[in-house]
Amino acid sequence: MSQTKNKKKMERFDVITNAIVILFAIVNLFPLYWLFTSSLKNSSDVVKMPPDWWPTTITFSNYADVFQSQPALRWAFNSLFVSGVATILVIMVGAMAAYGFSKLRFKGRNIIFIIFISSLMIPKEIMIVPLFRITQDFGMVNSYGGMIWPNVATAFGVFLLKGFFDSTPDALREASRIDGAGEWRTFFQIMLPIIKPGIGALFILNFVQVWNDYLWQLVIGQEKTMKTLMVGTATLMQDLNPNFAYKMAGATVAAIPMLLIFLLFQRYFTQGMTAGAVKE
Amino acid sequence: MKRKRLLVAAVALMMLTSIIAGCASGNNEAGNNKGTDTSSGKEKVEIKVWLTPQWKGVLDASEQGADYDSFMKYAADKFTKQYEKYDAKVNVEVIAGDQRDQLLNVNLSGGTPPDVFFESVFAMGDYVHRGALVPLTDIVDDSAKGDIAQNYWDAVTFGDDVYFYPFQHNPGTLVYNADMFRAAGLDKFVGEENEIKTWTLAEYEEVLKGLKDKLPKDKYSNAYPMAQYAVNNQGDTWNLAYLRMFGNPFFDEQGNIVANDEKGVKAMEWLKKIKDAGYTNPGAESVSSNDANGMFQNQQLAISFTNPILFSNTKADMESGKAKKFDMRLANIPSESGDPLSFTYVVGASVFQTNDEKRIEVAKDFVKFFSTDPELVKSSKNGIPVRSSVSEEFKSEKPLFAAYDANSKYLFNFTGNIPGYSQLREVLYPELQALYIGAKTPQQAIADYQTNGNKIIETNKASSVIYQK
Repeated sequence: MSQTKNKKKMERFDVITNAIVILFAIVNLFPLYWLFTSSLKNSSDVVKMPPDWWPTTITFSNYADVFQSQPALRWAFNSLFVSGVATILVIMVGAMAAYGFSKLRFKGRNIIFIIFISSLMIPKEIMIVPLFRITQDFGMVNSYGGMIWPNVATAFGVFLLKGFFDSTPDALREASRIDGAGEWRTFFQIMLPIIKPGIGALFILNFVQVWNDYLWQLVIGQEKTMKTLMVGTATLMQDLNPNFAYKMAGATVAAIPMLLIFLLFQRYFTQGMTAGAVKE
Repeated sequence: MKRKRLLVAAVALMMLTSIIAGCASGNNEAGNNKGTDTSSGKEKVEIKVWLTPQWKGVLDASEQGADYDSFMKYAADKFTKQYEKYDAKVNVEVIAGDQRDQLLNVNLSGGTPPDVFFESVFAMGDYVHRGALVPLTDIVDDSAKGDIAQNYWDAVTFGDDVYFYPFQHNPGTLVYNADMFRAAGLDKFVGEENEIKTWTLAEYEEVLKGLKDKLPKDKYSNAYPMAQYAVNNQGDTWNLAYLRMFGNPFFDEQGNIVANDEKGVKAMEWLKKIKDAGYTNPGAESVSSNDANGMFQNQQLAISFTNPILFSNTKADMESGKAKKFDMRLANIPSESGDPLSFTYVVGASVFQTNDEKRIEVAKDFVKFFSTDPELVKSSKNGIPVRSSVSEEFKSEKPLFAAYDANSKYLFNFTGNIPGYSQLREVLYPELQALYIGAKTPQQAIADYQTNGNKIIETNKASSVIYQK
């Protein structure tokens, strides 16, 4: 009797929570829906009151304008390349450093780690001028190198992955060493596969961060062909351009790759966020 | 085997990263004067020119492949072909208006400012006060002085020197929906198609009341008479103009704000009065100029703000079917005296202090070239030409030129060429927001604006190379 009651309670609870989740999903997805449908409208229909919830006449001319009048494909490539390469490098460097901090014993380990982590508290905006001068001295202005390397020098990957390495038992590493594996082999073949959810989470978080990076890419990619999608589409948002639908098309072009990345990697993202939350 | 694979992967990655490091679009900082001799026997000098989007095409947007950099690239090509002093190379880049200050500040700190910047003067005045620009007085000759009215020279003169070579200007006016006027029975207030209509303040209030009371609700549901916005600093020049409506001079001769007098308070009261009477869109404190522009296009506002570029872009969108068509005309901002309140954004080129004499020389020569070349100055017709010769030449093609010209005698310099103008812009809209939501009285709002504004001006005067001369 009480079991049935509990079951009913649970069902009611599920209905309520699902309703809340659906409501939140609608609230969160609506701006994306509005962005996309507005990009298919004429400019005056974007600001129409009462609004058209679906375009009465669909036009792709705004997208044609974005791709014909601007090197939007090149911008998209730049964004994908810079975000992709920077993220791969962050994972490689971060994973090795995190492994070192977590599993290797050496003098000053904690202090060095604290110094690493402290750098997270310094906003990039503060460093932008010295960073620009250094990048300039290396001749990397208007280059992919200038866009990528400063994004690799971040302690976030080390911080995130160290937590994952900490949650792996030391016995695994010891067993591997006893079986004759060297430190590199232990790292690559034993430890790295275990923290795959962490790497997935780092990939998506770092990719999003570099993708959305505006200020640095703005000052480094000064030539039109070296702009990223974020910076390039921002140039469309001119006050003097009264075509709202054109701006919406630009914003949609900037948002779509990010959405795809998130959809592809969301499994790792959610795994990464919850891994280590409970001890098993 | 696996170790070998690892090694190969590591080497591949190193190769990739070294490619990335070197892979650049040129990767050589434009503007570096290498001083190398070329086959022509002339020394090679490279300069970089930045501009914000002004107009598309060389002469106009109808050209194939017309873009914002078309004019400057064409001018650069023409300049380098005829230039005899050096083997000059001019690199042109378009910078979005809202990216301007970030890019300039970082590049100034890094010692790599552009050599030439083509932009509205009001946005660049602070760089003069910071000592980042070089005077252009030496490249202005008598023929230019004779062709360009003194008002425009005043707008580009800081202290004793000219810092911007005026090319065109974009006067700010009101724009109104003549169809809505007619629907509200206000036909007598509608001006000619190519006229900038001037109403007295009393007439303007009659228009606002007429629109509020008589606009047919079935045809124009959810519509308001006039645009009012204060969410940020965008479009604030119109708000500044309203503060002068009752004759307040705004700046004194020392460049301090003197808005807090009887006339300034009256202007603030007027802004609150029209809001309370329902003559404006609701929620002005959270509405941007961009929103107001959208509402006007959607016929939810009968009167809004505009400038020639915005006006012609909107007309072009109407013609191409991207926006709904209606009868759109221009009007002046009214004042109590009956004279129109007229301001303009003078657009021109400035030259940055790069500490490289040859680059500065080439940059100045380039600025003088495209600002005086008889063929190139014709492109100023995309805004309003500062040269009377160009206005005259295009007066039949562009009938509004005569109307803008007639307004020029009422022009006021809205920046006062004071130091810290861009910071000053940040203190007006919070006061207007406080006024509109009732947090401050008109007296408090104008007094606080003056106090806060003068603090900014005072601080900036202390570091201004013009004031500290």
